Amino acid sequence: MATTLQPVATASPRRFPPRAVAWVLGAAGGAVAIAAWTLLSHLLAHGGGVINRLPGPLSVVRELIRYAGTDLAKDLAFSLRVFAIGWLIGAAAAAVTGLLLGRSRWLGKVFLPVVEAIRPVSSIAWVPLSIVWFGFGLTSKVFLVGLAVFLVVIVYAVDGSRRVPADLERTATMLGMNGWQRFRSLVLPGTLAEVLIGSRVALMAGWGTVIVAELVAADSGLGAHLISVEQSYDVPAVIATMLCFGVTGWLMNGAFSFAERRLMPWRHDGETHDR
Amino acid sequence: MKRSVHLVAKRVLLPLVAHRVLLPLVGVACVLAAWEATLIVYRLPAIVLPSPWSVAATLAELAGTAAFWRDVGVSLYEFIAGYTLGVVLGVAIGMLIGESRHFRMAATPVVELLRFIVPFAWIPLTILWFGTSYTGKILLVAYAVFFVMVVSTARAVIHVEPTLSRVGTMLGMGPWRLAWQVHLRAAAPMLASAARAAAAIGWIAVVAAEYIGASAGLGLMITNAATSLATPVVIAGMIAIGIVGAGVSACIGLLSRAWLDYR
Repeated sequence: MATTLQPVATASPRRFPPRAVAWVLGAAGGAVAIAAWTLLSHLLAHGGGVINRLPGPLSVVRELIRYAGTDLAKDLAFSLRVFAIGWLIGAAAAAVTGLLLGRSRWLGKVFLPVVEAIRPVSSIAWVPLSIVWFGFGLTSKVFLVGLAVFLVVIVYAVDGSRRVPADLERTATMLGMNGWQRFRSLVLPGTLAEVLIGSRVALMAGWGTVIVAELVAADSGLGAHLISVEQSYDVPAVIATMLCFGVTGWLMNGAFSFAERRLMPWRHDGETHDR
Repeated sequence: MKRSVHLVAKRVLLPLVAHRVLLPLVGVACVLAAWEATLIVYRLPAIVLPSPWSVAATLAELAGTAAFWRDVGVSLYEFIAGYTLGVVLGVAIGMLIGESRHFRMAATPVVELLRFIVPFAWIPLTILWFGTSYTGKILLVAYAVFFVMVVSTARAVIHVEPTLSRVGTMLGMGPWRLAWQVHLRAAAPMLASAARAAAAIGWIAVVAAEYIGASAGLGLMITNAATSLATPVVIAGMIAIGIVGAGVSACIGLLSRAWLDYR
């Protein structure tokens, strides 16, 4: 019976393309999570111990739509402005400081330990002092975000300024480049590439700092809205605002990862932690 | 012989001391001098910027009071309870995500959405739900730590050398034993560094939560000091937060190194 030796046409394990499987399973996971949430909100509706109220997903969505129609754009714009200014200042300051400390042996030896000593004091711990110094306005928040970004990016900047391959440097000298030319075409691009990566890693640290700063020194922005709905015990609005924070962070991270892949295809850093 | 000892001292020890101790001290001295100079030049009152000496004196004074140690104890308790919970759950779920492709596909959208709601955004909700009790802060720290551990554990398990898994299968290991005895151990070094990063994030989450709603703790101490414009106490508190955070991170580094060596 020669036919039995033929490979049997079994159902291929890859009948669905994996992409489709991922979408279906992902949607199922999301559906399970939403179902669990709905169930929990029904169970807790009549006094559920410590968690005194958990709104269902529907009321959160309703609140989200209501908020999107009123103040969301204004609050989001304010928070993003704080974030962008602080982030740019922090990254620029870190690039300059990192170049100085990384390229000059003596400055590095003298001041890097000081930077290392300040780094464990997270920018969040500076919130009360920043309020004492700069009050509740834009300045204090920009200062905090700048500090948060600076403390992350400085490590990348120092590292980048030192990691110019020795071969390249020797080749450049051999080709007759002077110190300034070597700096401009070797050290500076290398450092800036690392600074860019550091800035992406610092995104979440900076965004988290915006949230804390706005929660504590609440005058405007998403964080201030979050505190004001919290103080009026409006749980659906609290959750809706949290979702806004999450989606914004996700979009920023996505945009930056995309830009990084486009600008620096040779660097596959993966995602790193906030610190 | 004596000559060579002398030479070692001169060539190795002296530069080492000079570079590792003296130069950083010069840096610290420069910063302190700049701080003092700012005070003198701009005639700043102590409310805005106290002198470094008064901050040091305040820190010493605080360290002598029982209330300060109670605040440290409360913050540390919240941190340790939440951290343990978060690491255990995070590694468990991370292992599941790393081991099972289907579970990974199902869990990814939910994990990704929640991961980007940074822990700080949960603070108002935890206050609404749990008041100023410890429970809210413990859960907040656990949340912060959980997502760091889930993401790193899953990535570490996925990237375990495939040869190891094949050897394990060949030796007749089932999927559970393979996960527990091969993948977890191979992932251990990455887990250890993730655990340190998670500790830093968890410690900040405690402090931030205490700013907004707490009955005790270091975060409450410095916000209270800030509202009564006791700036020396604020800065001393910040230093204390930094020292405790660095200490916690060092402890976790030691623990994980001991654990890795044991393996």
